[in-house]
Amino acid sequence: MEEYKYLIIGGGVAGTTTAETLRQNDKDGSIAIISDESHLFYSRIMLSKPNFFLEKIPFDKIWLKKKEWYEENKIEFLGGEIATKLDGQQKTVELKSGKILKYQKLLLATGGEARPWPLPNADKKGICYVRDLDEAKDLMENVKTAKQAIAVGSGFVSFEMCEMMRLAGLEVTLIMREPYYWYPLLDEESSKMIEEAMIKGGVKILRNNEVCEIIGNENIEGVILKDGTKIDCQLALIGIGLVCNLDWLKEAGVEINKGIVANEYLETNVTDIYTAGDVAEFKDLVLGERIQLGNWVNAQMQGRVAANNMIASNGSTSLTTRKPFRFVSFYTATGFGLNIAMSGDVRVKPEYKIIKRGSPDIHSNDHLDVVGFARIIVDGNDEIIGATFINRTQDMSVINKLIESDFKVSGHKSELADINFDLKQLLPK
Amino acid sequence: MANIKEYARNKEGSNISKIVVDRDLCIGAASCIAVSGETWELDNENKAIVTNAGAGANAVDDATLLMSAESCPTKAILLFDKAGVQVFPK
Repeated sequence: MEEYKYLIIGGGVAGTTTAETLRQNDKDGSIAIISDESHLFYSRIMLSKPNFFLEKIPFDKIWLKKKEWYEENKIEFLGGEIATKLDGQQKTVELKSGKILKYQKLLLATGGEARPWPLPNADKKGICYVRDLDEAKDLMENVKTAKQAIAVGSGFVSFEMCEMMRLAGLEVTLIMREPYYWYPLLDEESSKMIEEAMIKGGVKILRNNEVCEIIGNENIEGVILKDGTKIDCQLALIGIGLVCNLDWLKEAGVEINKGIVANEYLETNVTDIYTAGDVAEFKDLVLGERIQLGNWVNAQMQGRVAANNMIASNGSTSLTTRKPFRFVSFYTATGFGLNIAMSGDVRVKPEYKIIKRGSPDIHSNDHLDVVGFARIIVDGNDEIIGATFINRTQDMSVINKLIESDFKVSGHKSELADINFDLKQLLPK
Repeated sequence: MANIKEYARNKEGSNISKIVVDRDLCIGAASCIAVSGETWELDNENKAIVTNAGAGANAVDDATLLMSAESCPTKAILLFDKAGVQVFPK
């Protein structure tokens, strides 16, 4: 039976960053990465970028680590393998191929899959997702032949993919259950800016609606909506969220909820088992509660902390000490002439107050790219806990630092609202 | 490279003397900022720029600067040594 000092399940950004950080700090310990994809580490974040789809960025830019990197760093990559069983007592992982691997420290960084479209006949050709490289390749092929497309969902994926499909010359209809885009994360004012930019970019938006029937034989040919409307389409892009496959962990005694439950050190309830990335449901020290986040930067930062803590748990000979994960998470997206970002806690809660910076008015303002609109979210303790930015991403770094430093807004509200005020002046000296 | 921005670095003891951002590749993911907010910020086009009008090029040590470049999901940050040799990405 093969034994590894560090076994990592998941070859994405969390798993690969963990492996890289482990190697930087432990030159000799054996490391293996198990990945259900056969591809080496690639830029999943690039998959949803129009420039990639439209081949303005060369395809090869997708590869972030080459075969030589794994060899030089003595990191074994077991691609196309699926972990099916975990024994936390014996410290073994069983793979679908039948192989059993022993570990000393285990990282679960299995991420998630695109939530499948929960409709009959959703397996027709032309129904696409954009979660992994093979799905993206399938979408790329379909974009070349389709004339009409629908996008389902109102999040980052649909936003970026609608732009890509418009740039590729397709007729695009966006169908969402929600009353407005990004509900309930965004407010109606910000959402209106986004919808107006999308409409201006040629996207037809159908709100409060959903598909109830898929038409076609082998390929999708159209859909019927719950209000009876029929839409012809040869392509359906589905962006309705993420699911984590955790069934295989149930028997192992690892605590799971929507994701794998972890403390602020990214340790699970089972000794020597850690988690990071989209699958981790961790105790967030900034928000003071347990959350699960699906974004690149968060996964990357967690990979570093998980690696640090896996090494620190080696005992007295270790060079490093255990440290908690503390990070103001954020995500950015670009499309239709808008740059959108969300930082920290952007949920709508009655006790939260909003400080508006800039203007959401897209019509009366010809210089939207200069002014933009940010909403700074303040909690009951008068502290900034989150923010959303539309064409004001230049404010994000400073706001993130203010969130991190528990900055009190009292006495500074008018400064925060004034786009001519340099926010850097509010940072602790 | 058509759309690039260059920053000189003259930090004492540093082996890196030039930082280049390929703005066509930059997607504003801001992972560089997560690693080194002292060096990086986003501009109003959602592209990474060096802080303090370029003065931030000297803000951190070589290891941190390299880590911020390595974290980029599109490899849009390039680093050069004093001899003009590209040290990242290799």
